[in-house]
Amino acid sequence: MNIQAPIKHTAAEEDLFQLCEAARGAVSGSKDASEQRDAAIEQLRAQGLPTRRIESWHYTDLRAAMKHLSAPTDSRVPAPLLAGSKVLSADTSVAGVTISPWSADKAQFAPVESDDAIGQINTALATCGSIAAVKAGQTVDVPLSIENRGAHARNVVSLGEGASATIVESVCGKDGFSSDVTLISLAEGAKATYVSTCEKGPDAVQLGQLRVVLGKDAELDVVIFNAGGKLIRREVVVLVEGEGSNLDIKGVNLIGGDSHIDVTTVLSHTVPHTVSEQLFRNISTGKGQGVFQGQIKVHQIAQKTDAQMACNTLLLSDDAGFSAKPELEIFADDVICAHGATVAELDEDHLFYLRARGITERTARALLVEAFVDEAIEEIDNEPLVEALETRIGAWLEANG
Amino acid sequence: MPAVQETIDQVAQIDVDQYKYGFETILEMDMAPKGLSEDVIRFISAKKEEPEWMLEWRLDAYRRWLTMEEPDWARVSYPKIDFNDIYYYAAPKGQSGPKTLDDVDPEIRATYEKLGIPLAEQEILAGVQERRVAVDAVFDSVSVVTTFKEELAKAGVIFMSISEAIREHPELVKKYLASVVPVSDNYYSALNCAVFTDGSFVYVPEGVRCPMELSTYFRINAENTGQFERTLIVAEKGAYVSYLEGCTAPQRDENQLHAAVVELVALEDAEIKYSTVQNWYPGDSEGKGGIYNFVTKRGDCRGDRSKISWTQVETGSAITWKYPSCILRGDDSQGEFYSIAVSNGAQQIDSGTKMIHLGKRTKSRIISKGISAGRSQNTYRGRVSAHRKATDARNFTQCDSLLIGDQCGAHTVPYIEANNATAQFEHEATTSKISEDQLFYCMQRGIPEEEAIALIVNGFVKEVIQELPMEFAVEAQKLIGISLEGSVG
Repeated sequence: MNIQAPIKHTAAEEDLFQLCEAARGAVSGSKDASEQRDAAIEQLRAQGLPTRRIESWHYTDLRAAMKHLSAPTDSRVPAPLLAGSKVLSADTSVAGVTISPWSADKAQFAPVESDDAIGQINTALATCGSIAAVKAGQTVDVPLSIENRGAHARNVVSLGEGASATIVESVCGKDGFSSDVTLISLAEGAKATYVSTCEKGPDAVQLGQLRVVLGKDAELDVVIFNAGGKLIRREVVVLVEGEGSNLDIKGVNLIGGDSHIDVTTVLSHTVPHTVSEQLFRNISTGKGQGVFQGQIKVHQIAQKTDAQMACNTLLLSDDAGFSAKPELEIFADDVICAHGATVAELDEDHLFYLRARGITERTARALLVEAFVDEAIEEIDNEPLVEALETRIGAWLEANG
Repeated sequence: MPAVQETIDQVAQIDVDQYKYGFETILEMDMAPKGLSEDVIRFISAKKEEPEWMLEWRLDAYRRWLTMEEPDWARVSYPKIDFNDIYYYAAPKGQSGPKTLDDVDPEIRATYEKLGIPLAEQEILAGVQERRVAVDAVFDSVSVVTTFKEELAKAGVIFMSISEAIREHPELVKKYLASVVPVSDNYYSALNCAVFTDGSFVYVPEGVRCPMELSTYFRINAENTGQFERTLIVAEKGAYVSYLEGCTAPQRDENQLHAAVVELVALEDAEIKYSTVQNWYPGDSEGKGGIYNFVTKRGDCRGDRSKISWTQVETGSAITWKYPSCILRGDDSQGEFYSIAVSNGAQQIDSGTKMIHLGKRTKSRIISKGISAGRSQNTYRGRVSAHRKATDARNFTQCDSLLIGDQCGAHTVPYIEANNATAQFEHEATTSKISEDQLFYCMQRGIPEEEAIALIVNGFVKEVIQELPMEFAVEAQKLIGISLEGSVG
């Protein structure tokens, strides 16, 4: 697919290029930043939106799925997930955290891979975001919240040596096309929890990406929560480049109505003695279509890597579907890597057990589904976070059960 | 955990430098002009004395092939193939089709003897050999002999080369050829349709259990040739057949192309077992030479309660691109895929299976073991999908890979697609999930967990490999003992 005539652009692509032109004038930056943006726009023009022929977009044919692109009509900012959160914006101050006003130069635009459509779109369109740095040795007690106050946000958060913080990024809104890219780097010994929640309305398209660089002995817990939306894709790209670092990803995807929710993770273990664990629990009901693509790459020198990945899905309706691609790419011979993926309906035996004890079928099902999903998050070592997520899961199941 | 010494030794024994079948038989050959064109296809068709419809079919496939692009999604890399630098037809002089054993060139008989393939029926009948296996021996582009034809005919089983079948049973060939793998299914299947030269045809009539193992032995001998094998196996209602395939080639510095298409059709209650021991010349340890093995194999469980089982032991070829698949169309049909793929030297393997669940209560099982050593790359790529109407579809997949040394790579790319809520798919690397009951049974009797797991997984593979005749099973047996210790997902 390398040599081809210029492609015929779809209506959505034409809309996208208009948005690009508008964004180009909206923010000023140094020559380098604008060159990066121009390069991204050029890539989009040359390739168009990705189709299922692009391997990393195999189950989410963006070109076919997106008919028209429009800006979101409501700019509502969600209530913070955790009580007492401080918003990372230039007009708040948090002890030990340097927050800078957003500018194209601080957004760390960089060359984008040819199959990284989210990177291209965000590089071309981002006009807002949070820029924050946690000082070395600083433990931030209050949860930090990232509010994306525009359709296309690009956030840059760094944690200095030994620093620790909890960061929550939430998106909501009923419609429109938006994107977010968040770059997080953890220096030696830093510890962080990053939570991404996406509760979009039935007409919304959200393309999100989290890019992480893990330093020596750094620890990062990532929690992904997706519920609702028309077309949601969330990518987690982690470069594990510090020995002794530890990554834990937990995810819950609640897919109902005619939502299409795609979570794609790419983990590169490039040094010895690192650990990663991923656990995803998904519910697909109504006409919901879910996708999980997980890629673990273990470089040749990354001996003693311990990488685990599990993705379990419950299909609750006849029209629901789920596709999974748990991929391993291993070049080192002394590693433990495992992946498991299951797709099934509720276990009849479990259901029978509960019903035999006088619980109605509806309640029994609800209990089992909730227990299945909650298992993904209950081990998170942050009580308020687990409670907040459980409340949202309960509400979603109530509405979609 | 690194691989255990025993495994390392076993794999070293079948390293690329140990290739035993690299000799060449010097024969006078009858070749088609080099390159590919409509004229070459006409030449092949004429050589095979094919009817007009077959020629038209080939030409149509060729025209479609011209419009297609070479696939590039597999994790293999090789210089672009010049399809005009290959001989598409090479036959030993005087051989245009299988005859009686006495007519076969003694040089060719000697070759097969050297490879350990029994062609002489009388010896086997006299009980010198333990097993009775009917063999169709294919030498470059032609089938040189098919043994036990008469005895099989008594049971009603048709076993002959595909060229003969086109002449003698055109109605069956027309009905089933390309009904599983359509002409333009992929780049290499279209090429195969245009230029296939020989292969086997098996037809087992209703209710017949094929009285012996059937097998084909492929040998590429001539230089610069491609071998385009075409095999079609049809099992009528309630029939059963077990089919084996073996392959070797001489040691050469240039790469040779093998692009086969194998189609299996199982009607109601029928069962087909298809086993392969693939030992094409893998190239030397520097990656020079070797066979490009680009193969499309697919079975169609067309009838209810039918079953197709693929077993493969892959040790040869410079590059393997092969996905024996099952289309589980009939209700209650079953598909199985057992694979041991060993790569060494500079070999590249991208292999796996597809289990397409269309019918109700269809079941499939995938057990794949990949072992990479040297500087090789070994990829498992598999798809399991449940159609919306595939109520109660079940799949169990397990793929283990083992790396020996830090210069090689092992990769796993499973695609799991469920579109029916009652489907139950498990893709497991955590071996404890094999079957809790079996594991518990073993462990209760004092067998440690690791050994119990190895016992159970090897049990699956062994069950089928033991069905192979001894000659083919040698390589396979060596690998059976390989421990699962140190394997990764």
